Amino acid sequence: MTGLTQTVTVRRDVAAEAKMDAELERRRLAARGTCVVNIVSSPGAGKTTLLEATARHWAGRRTMAVLVGDLETDRDAQRLSPLVPTAQLTTGGACHLELPLVRRGLEALGDPQVDFLFIENVGNLVCPASHDLAEHLRVVLVSTTEGDDKPGKYPKMFRTSQAMLVTKLDLLPYVPFSVAAVTDDARRIQPELASFEICARDGVGISEWCDHLDKQRENLLAET
Amino acid sequence: MHEQSLVRTLLRQVESIRQEHGGRRVTETRVEVGPLSGVEPLLLASAFEQSASETTAADATLVIDEVALLAECEACREQFELQQFDFRCPACRGNVRIVRGDTLQLISVDLQDTEPIER
Repeated sequence: MTGLTQTVTVRRDVAAEAKMDAELERRRLAARGTCVVNIVSSPGAGKTTLLEATARHWAGRRTMAVLVGDLETDRDAQRLSPLVPTAQLTTGGACHLELPLVRRGLEALGDPQVDFLFIENVGNLVCPASHDLAEHLRVVLVSTTEGDDKPGKYPKMFRTSQAMLVTKLDLLPYVPFSVAAVTDDARRIQPELASFEICARDGVGISEWCDHLDKQRENLLAET
Repeated sequence: MHEQSLVRTLLRQVESIRQEHGGRRVTETRVEVGPLSGVEPLLLASAFEQSASETTAADATLVIDEVALLAECEACREQFELQQFDFRCPACRGNVRIVRGDTLQLISVDLQDTEPIER
């Protein structure tokens, strides 16, 4: 003898609360003038080197702080902290950063009122795509040594990014990599992706990249 | 990996619903996932089996509806199923927004009376 079954219809995103939480934090930071940039890539694509070059380019003309995420070590924070306020976030085992850890990092930095808060995510093109860190810009790095056929393999990451930086441009003569091909592949997924070619070590593309950041922040503050 | 954390959130939501509706037994939980949900259905099912056993949703069936990516063109409003992750509108090449297939959706929860009806 079976009882009655009632179907309660819900139709709701399981992550709705987490997303709203991130959105509130995003607005809070914009309201006080901070543009948050989430930097993502495979391991070794040049995130930290890019941030070093960015900090050196601005040389104090913009205020910036960095939160660096890694499973272990504070190697990246050691490189950046002589240049700008930096906090290392160690996840222990998690392959991506999440908002609670970012909040702790912000607290550790004293919730600084800066023009730009950069979050250097854990090197991983998969999981960070699904986690909102309250960023205003998500920027994906692809280095010339990684092959120009990668965007199609990581659709969520490229779809959710606003800009793509092709890094290690100086190695182009030595690798079978086409900037046009990687850009086409990425723009099939996200037609509005801004793209830049960078050699952070030589300073190539850094001022264009920084000008882009300035423009994005200007737009952000105008609409806040 | 994230399936476990998502499942914990899912089970909390299911429990909330169960309580709102008189605390009856959960017999089925239906979810929807798509290609950009960031969720692997097999891992989701196995995480659910593991975690649900310690909750009031133990013995509940998890039904996973796998849907295609449905997009709507921002320019011409055409709706279509994405092919091969090409996000350009087939009609006007405009950019699109995803309307289905990029989240883990809790669709419904089936609750059953624990007492059979006496006839």
